[in-house]
Amino acid sequence: MGRITGAREPLSHTFGMSERRIGRAAFLSVVGIGGLGLLAGDRISSLFSGPLGAAGSVVPQGLKDILPIGGWRIYAINPPWPEFHPAHYRLEVTGHVRNPVSLSWDDLMNLPTARQTTDFHCVTGWTVGGVRWQGVRLQTIWDMVEPLPEARYANFVSLEQPYVDTLSLRQTTLPEVMLAHHMDGAPLTRAHGAPVRLVIPEMYGYKNVKWLTRIELVTELVPGFWEVNRYGVDAWVGRSNGY
Amino acid sequence: MRRFSRAERTAHWVVAVTFLVMTATGLILYLPMFASLAADRMLWKSLHIGAAIAFWAGLVAVVAVSPRSLGRTASQLDRFDDDDRAWLAWAVRRRGAEPPAGRFNAGQKLNSAVIAGLAVVFTVSGVLILLQETDKTFRGVTSAILVHDWATWVAVPLVAGHIYLATINASTRHSLRGITLGTVRREWARRHHPKWEAECD
Repeated sequence: MGRITGAREPLSHTFGMSERRIGRAAFLSVVGIGGLGLLAGDRISSLFSGPLGAAGSVVPQGLKDILPIGGWRIYAINPPWPEFHPAHYRLEVTGHVRNPVSLSWDDLMNLPTARQTTDFHCVTGWTVGGVRWQGVRLQTIWDMVEPLPEARYANFVSLEQPYVDTLSLRQTTLPEVMLAHHMDGAPLTRAHGAPVRLVIPEMYGYKNVKWLTRIELVTELVPGFWEVNRYGVDAWVGRSNGY
Repeated sequence: MRRFSRAERTAHWVVAVTFLVMTATGLILYLPMFASLAADRMLWKSLHIGAAIAFWAGLVAVVAVSPRSLGRTASQLDRFDDDDRAWLAWAVRRRGAEPPAGRFNAGQKLNSAVIAGLAVVFTVSGVLILLQETDKTFRGVTSAILVHDWATWVAVPLVAGHIYLATINASTRHSLRGITLGTVRREWARRHHPKWEAECD
């Protein structure tokens, strides 16, 4: 079959054959390409992001929740993801407020809706540009519950226990902060924190609490889940991630 | 015939087991599909990093115990003779007779070099991702996670092909015995590594 069978004689020509260190060259090439990628990878990939982004917009959301299409990665800490039951869902706003409330899904949908298109940045280095959010501004909630003068921080508690993160009251009314219930024109999916997630584009994703169930106004700073695990309480997206 | 020494086999399985653990946990951390089944990010992340530490610790330990034997293997993998270069051309064009291979054929040599390079790329980009999570000063390298992904897309098909040849493909899968038990049949060696078989007389 064209194979060498009685291959005793090639022994003679193994001597004097010019050997080249191609293995080392291949190894160094791979390391070199990796190094180049670290220096310029985001610029190289942005060359393709136009056509890829266009392709991504026709992919159904169901598929996007399975494969990393459109740039999203889904991070969670306690399986399985919380499930949303419209009939039983409540968003409680409690703590140092004059009028604690417990909002149903319908209550939330009847509040004034704000819209924005903002980028989403993860602290592990990925970014999703131009996410279209729809939701309720925190000021609308504060007008209802009336925070007491001593309230200084808001803890955002997730249905996914024990996930919680915190903002100062001042941060909650920055122009692009909202409780989002729609993303890219459709109700928030389970993967993205249905029915409501906090959106604060100025800060990394770990501040953007998913599966929100309770907002608690407190007087002292309580570090959030990842902040207890060494992430910075200061989560401002810096010049990194191109923000 | 004796194919692989104990040191070579240990080194191979340290790499193989830790690579598979890192691939499995890495895909769980990366693909939303798996994220829904096993969402405990802290657990998968520590397993992923633990396997990376085991990879380097294991490799350093094996090399420290048998530096000369493994150094010789590395040198064999590094050097391509005329037949190896002809083999690469043959592997692409698939015409004529297969040029005779020594102890390793050119495909095996190239595979080991690329995987070694990827190990460095994975480690550097992975350490950067880890540092960026908690330390702002490293966030200037914005492509670390991208490079880690790209390396995955190269490494996973390479390893899948390697496993296919070692376990499923009928004419080559006898090689699995060499890397597990250490020995191979002479007739297999003569067919796949004729120059090596001849030298071993």
